Amino acid sequence: MKLRGWKVLTTSMALTLLLTACSGGSKEPGTENTSSNGENPASDRGNEVVVGLSSDPQSWDPIDTFLLDWSTVATSVFEGLVERTLDLELKPGLAESWEYLDDSTLEFKLRQGVVFHNGEPFNADAVKFTFDRLLGDEGKKGPQYSNYASIESVEVVDEFTVLMHLKSPDPVLLTKLAGYGAVIVPPKYVQENSDDHFNNNPVGTGPFKMVEYKRDQQSVLEKNEDYWKEGLPKLDKVTFKIIPEASTRLAELQTGKIDIMKRVEVAQADTVKSTDFLELIEVGAPTVYSLRFDTAEEPLGDVRVRQAINYAIDKEAIIEEILGGFGRPISTYQSDLSFGNNPDLEPYPYDVEKAKELLAEAGVAEGTTLEVYIPGNNGTFKELTQAVAFYLEEVGLKLNINSVDSTTLISDLVPNGEAGDMYYQGWGGWTLDYDNTAYLMYHEGEQWNPSFKDEKVEELLAAQRATVDQDEREAIFMELTELLYELAPEVNLYQSVDLYAANDRVENFQPPHEDRMRLEEVSIK
Amino acid sequence: MLAYVIRRLLHTVLVVFVISLIIFFSIRLTGDPVSVMFSAGEPSKEAIAEVRSNLGLDKPLPVQYGIFLKGMLTFDFGESFRSGMPVGTLIVEKLWATIALALGGIVVAILIAFPVGILSAVKRGSGVDFFGRIFSLIGISFPNFWLGIMLILVFAVNLQWLPSSGFESFKHLILPSITLGMILSGILARLVRSSMLEVLNQQYISTAKSKGISEWAVIIKHAFRNALLPTITFLGLQFGSLLGGTVIVEQVFSWPGVGRLIIDAINQRDYPVIQGGVIFLAVTMVLVNLIVDLSYSLIDPRIRAGRGSK
Repeated sequence: MKLRGWKVLTTSMALTLLLTACSGGSKEPGTENTSSNGENPASDRGNEVVVGLSSDPQSWDPIDTFLLDWSTVATSVFEGLVERTLDLELKPGLAESWEYLDDSTLEFKLRQGVVFHNGEPFNADAVKFTFDRLLGDEGKKGPQYSNYASIESVEVVDEFTVLMHLKSPDPVLLTKLAGYGAVIVPPKYVQENSDDHFNNNPVGTGPFKMVEYKRDQQSVLEKNEDYWKEGLPKLDKVTFKIIPEASTRLAELQTGKIDIMKRVEVAQADTVKSTDFLELIEVGAPTVYSLRFDTAEEPLGDVRVRQAINYAIDKEAIIEEILGGFGRPISTYQSDLSFGNNPDLEPYPYDVEKAKELLAEAGVAEGTTLEVYIPGNNGTFKELTQAVAFYLEEVGLKLNINSVDSTTLISDLVPNGEAGDMYYQGWGGWTLDYDNTAYLMYHEGEQWNPSFKDEKVEELLAAQRATVDQDEREAIFMELTELLYELAPEVNLYQSVDLYAANDRVENFQPPHEDRMRLEEVSIK
Repeated sequence: MLAYVIRRLLHTVLVVFVISLIIFFSIRLTGDPVSVMFSAGEPSKEAIAEVRSNLGLDKPLPVQYGIFLKGMLTFDFGESFRSGMPVGTLIVEKLWATIALALGGIVVAILIAFPVGILSAVKRGSGVDFFGRIFSLIGISFPNFWLGIMLILVFAVNLQWLPSSGFESFKHLILPSITLGMILSGILARLVRSSMLEVLNQQYISTAKSKGISEWAVIIKHAFRNALLPTITFLGLQFGSLLGGTVIVEQVFSWPGVGRLIIDAINQRDYPVIQGGVIFLAVTMVLVNLIVDLSYSLIDPRIRAGRGSK
């Protein structure tokens, strides 16, 4: 009898699987629209929001990390002296105002009456402690220290005034103070507890406080009742769940287990759009993608060959066909969000004849093979590179695509100049200022610049760093972008567009350009 | 018996030593943890050098290996480059989730494969057998990534019976266990079928039947118990490797297991976590092997571990 029961059960299980196999076989995972009747499965969750993220930053200590997913959560917990809004404007944060006393001294007047989540008062000592820690031995163990190397020291003037002494003028200092290593930490709490404790139990002044952290599972944040912004935050609770697989994140969104999904994939956009209670929100990101040339070796040492490749590729078609339109053309290696982007430059047009002409001039033989290195785990970029190979074939160049482990590529092959004639390059300048990108990519001897050299470029890079006058810097950047456009150290492909999906019940959610999610204004319908 | 166990444990020490050598040097062949850490921000050469020396990566390799070996003697595998947490703590954090999933997968595999395998053997050549064999084939050839996503679509999204991800309650364990169990059950059912067939052809089965014992009593009591031995070996070894994590199932169901820990560590070149994780896997595997060997004597009293096992 029992065995008969098993037989029935196993039979029916196998059948179910076969049926789902048949019905779902040709579709993208997650395309079945389940709630076309518009019933919202998350409607009875209280005044809280659940966000689905793809990865866990592992440590919450601001000086330990440089991960985008850290900033997605930590922006709700920690604050800097300066605040960068969702529209990327700088405004007073924990400092009420600031002023350059001279080229190398910056004075901050601090906000009064702010307390950390553990009750410690925020004051000048906390600011000094934060920067002493960041610039001292503790900070030197992590990747944040070097971003703030222009700061000499912080001096306490009185309880709510500090002076920041600079080693050299730093035109992008203020935007750096709005996040990551420069967020203010509570001195007593950090000193009294172990390193591990602070890694796992972060305390800041932000709109939400972290009440639970389960590594690789979830972080639970509750409203900071004493938050200094009047009437904020509006939510009582925010939970960040770690769901690495995009199809699973979408399933959780469709079943109402999460309200906001980060990193929606292009293939999932239609499913989100066709579900009544979900909304797809796109936002331009600072991340840009290109294929960088090894200019130290022929044939790409010849600028005509580099330009020819730029002419040979139809970038617009690639964005449309491979990225589903979720990408934007770029003329230099920066996004349209970046200070220093040149709006007058148009991306190289698609011009096969011109490309062939330049290649002939440079004496490149028909059928010359170029080695290209790309990360093996990035399916979209692989497809894109195949399209590039197709376009280059049209002008007589052969592309040999090498898919390699992405860590090896980024940390080993590229810095050592061993990544072939062309290689994958993806980068989002965190300061949203061309200085960050251009310096690291084109200054001789930098980590990401194994081969490119140009004296005029060096001159301009140094000039924009020597001044804090933003108009002057902008003029320098315009000259620099024109020059780099001509020199073509890479073929610029696109600026990425980040996709978010949100449940209808969430109100006032504006996705961040640079992953720093702000939820204090968000409410529930 | 005791001497046997001690000898096996000494073997373990040797295995761990050899593995520590291989893992230590092989992960240092490509990639660089400090460059990965600086793959955003402003990586100046000086900053990179500073971090490298703070992590002790500027010391000569033999010295670094010595430090690693010395730490290993006291079960101290160092701290993760990424989280700053002790490696032991990180592994222990993931261990419950990993054990739960491994057990869940094994239980599902047994529940599916034993009935299918036994029926196929008993009704050899019949429709049931045909179906059983097809089932095994499907089980073996299913990509578990796809199966996991299909189960989520059917049971979490469409029917909304079960949660699709997370490590919270028993309900959360069901879909990942089925995914894992389905894959295992394919091979297991074939194994059960062939061992059963072998036993069913033995003379003592005919004897038992001729004594008038009912058919199913013969099958379960006489045949199945004897056919169990190879199955136990298989399950034991599978369980051992499942304790090493099941990266794909963990990924699909957001399961916080050892597999993801190690894979993430490899991607970041987080040396202490990779080293500690791999040593942990090696020790687990060796111990599970030992337990499997010892368990033979429980199932089959004729086998005595250690005697004649030279």
